[in-house]
Parts: sequence; structure tokens; C-alpha cells
Amino acid sequence: MALSGFEGFEKRLELHFSGDGDPITAGEGLRQLDFKSLEQILAAVQCTVVSAVGNLYFDAYVLSESSLFVYPTKIVIKTCGTTQLLKSIPPLLSHAHHLGLNICSCRYTRGNFIFPKSQPFPHTSFTEEAIYLEQSLPNHLCYRKASVMPSKLSSHSWHVFSASDDDHQMTADLFTIEVCMTELDTVLARKFYRSGDDSGKEMTVLTGIVDINPDAVVCDFAFDPCGYSMNGMDGTHYSTIHVTPEDGYSYASFECVGSIHTREDIGEMLKKVVQIFRPATMSVSTTTSVGQEIWARVKNVLESVGLSCRSCAVDEFPATGCIVFQTFTTRRT
Amino acid sequence: MAEEGQVIGCHTVEAWTEQLQKGNESKKLVVVDFTASWCGPCRFIAPVLAELAKKLPGVIFLKVDVDELKSVATDWAVEAMPTFMFLKEGKIVDKIVGAKKDELQQKIQLHAAA
Repeated sequence: MALSGFEGFEKRLELHFSGDGDPITAGEGLRQLDFKSLEQILAAVQCTVVSAVGNLYFDAYVLSESSLFVYPTKIVIKTCGTTQLLKSIPPLLSHAHHLGLNICSCRYTRGNFIFPKSQPFPHTSFTEEAIYLEQSLPNHLCYRKASVMPSKLSSHSWHVFSASDDDHQMTADLFTIEVCMTELDTVLARKFYRSGDDSGKEMTVLTGIVDINPDAVVCDFAFDPCGYSMNGMDGTHYSTIHVTPEDGYSYASFECVGSIHTREDIGEMLKKVVQIFRPATMSVSTTTSVGQEIWARVKNVLESVGLSCRSCAVDEFPATGCIVFQTFTTRRT
Repeated sequence: MAEEGQVIGCHTVEAWTEQLQKGNESKKLVVVDFTASWCGPCRFIAPVLAELAKKLPGVIFLKVDVDELKSVATDWAVEAMPTFMFLKEGKIVDKIVGAKKDELQQKIQLHAAA
């Protein structure tokens, strides 16, 4: 492991809002945020928009350090490096308020930083993050829970903070899968180094990422001299991949939202993800409302491609539902 | 109608057809921006496109709102916004889906020179 380097592990924030009336039709709610306001919010986090695309249901932005998804009543920001993600909360709440929207739930998740000492306030520790969240969120989000879900590996654990109000209902048929991969296969990781005028598109095709979900509209970007980000857009569902290929601190993440009605596809998608990165260690966090066994499908699929499940932790969070955190390593270790 | 240096908005099917025909006959590169008023990424790229239109009077820039001209958006299979279509003499020579500043500049230079 290198002594210092780029921090691939992301911090992820998901906020849900409600307003007067029902702004679920195209263009309403948070999508009305003008670009200056978005820039202001992102400036607080210290990242900028690199490319973006939108469809009838949501807008997806590739940022200098990860991704942003804006739905009418939901926003998901995922940033890596030494960004101060939680600082986006005050400006976000303020801008949402001006649009007549009020926050009704918040979920913050992250894995373990490879270089925790390089993180700035409030990300110096999970305790600091929890305190910052407690102070930034309004009191009506009264159901709160903070938890660290362990594994048998010191390098992988899952931190969760969730807060919600009385009325927030989680969409029953949706699930989110957050995958963190470390110690990527060095030969495969080299494909994420720019060679000549490589655009993101070439990398997407050459690495096989384009085949993970051929139906998705892909917005990709290849960083100089290495690194890659993409957002996929498939109806109301997003997917996102971020890669830090450098040996010594290599990392890749894959995240997607799915519906229980299309559960079968998740298995195939995860298989392809493993084949693209061949990580030595992989953690998968599945978030669903109670009663779905996506995690079992995840385990079966990953074991079928040469990974062994090392741990499984389960916990329930207000309005978020059930989070299952599993870690896998390649069988040779 | 000296509209060089500007992005020309097409608000009716007739205007669209007319502009397209003019573009085809001029043999210049025509860049069409399929946009939606409710799409954040379209707002992000709008000033970039306006700058490019100013700098490149030899290229024709057209703008189509997918709600105003639903039939045109469907005909051209636009599913995500912004979508940029590159046309020369009536043929589609390239397409960009998404607000990608660098790729937009590169492709305009590439096809304008061809």
C-alpha cells in the first residue's frame, strides 16, 4: 500500500424532499435549480461539472470528483478524494427551500478511507461527520441512526447515518447497490490510463463497461493521465462507475439503482463488473426496504465468479430500510 | 435574416424544415441542439454553444425544444438531452448525447473543416 495517493473511496449523500403539491412531473422540483445555484452547492464541496446529460426523469452530472444525480424530489451526490461533501447540505437545503421543497430524509454512507489522515473537516472521523450531520439537518428529521457495519477486513467497513421525518416512505420496489473494489488487477487497471487522444467513450468500449447495461445512455470521462468516471441513465435508474487505477491505492466503485422487477439483470451486471476489474477485495452494500433478498443474489453471483464471501452484516435504518453489507475476496487469499 | 453568430431557435415544424433546408443547401456544417427547458445539463451547455456560435459564423447552429417540437424529437430518436446532431448536406455525420464541452468543440472543428 502506498503511503499517500488519491482517495478513491467515496462519500455518498442522498436527500429526499417533499413539497406542496406533487412535483413529480418532468422539470419540477429540484430540476428547476439553475446552474449557478448548482455551481454554488458544488463549490462548497470543491468539485465542478465535467459533463452532464438528462432525460425525462432526472439529470446526471459527471463531476471532477465523482457524480451528481438530480431528480424532482431526490438528490444523490457521491464524491471522492478530499472533498467536503457534507458542506453541500446547508446550501442545498437553502436552495430547495426557495423552490418550496423541504427535506424529509437523509442518508449518508461511505466505506473506509485508504488515507484517512488526509481527509479534511468534517470527514476526519465518522464521529465528526455524525456531529456535522446532526447539526446541519433540521429538527423535524427526528428519526436518526448512525452505525458502523463491520467486516472481517480492517480495510472495509460501512458507515451509515440516516435521518428521516414521520411521513417519509421509501419506494418499496427500489434497491440501491454500492460496490467498492480495491486491489484491482494491474493489467486491467492499465486500461484506465489515457493513451493519446482517448476519450471517455473509447475507454467505456475498450474496457467492456459499455456492455454492463447496453440499454443505458452513458456519459463518460477519461481523466489525465489516468482515472475514469461514468454515469449511466436507463429510464428512472442511474448507474455510476469511478476508477482510480494507480497501483498501490487502486480503487473502483460501481453503484446502481434497480427495481425488484428487473432483479435478474443485477446478477449479470455484477458479473461483468467483476470481470472488468478483477479486484482482490470487494464490498457490496445493498439497501432495500424490508423483505427482499437481493443480497443473496449478489452472494451467489459473486461466488460464481471466483469470489468468497467473508462477512455479512445487516442493519435497519429509519426510512432507508435494510442495509446488508457483505465483503468478498478472491479465493486464493 | 442575418443570423450568423447566433443559435437559431426553431419553434414550429415549418421553421425547422425551412432552416434545415437552408442549411443543407448552404453545404455548411449544421449543428442541432435538441434541448428541454427542464433539463439541467442543457442549461449547463447553453452558454458554451452560444460562444461557439459567435466564434464560428461558418457553422449553422439550430436549437429545437423537445416539448415544442415533439414530433421532430421523436423522428430523430432523441431520448436524452442535450443531444447534438451534426448534419452536412442533409446527412447525419455525427452525434453527441450529453453536455460535453470538449467533445463538442472537437467535433465541430473536425466536421466544419471536412
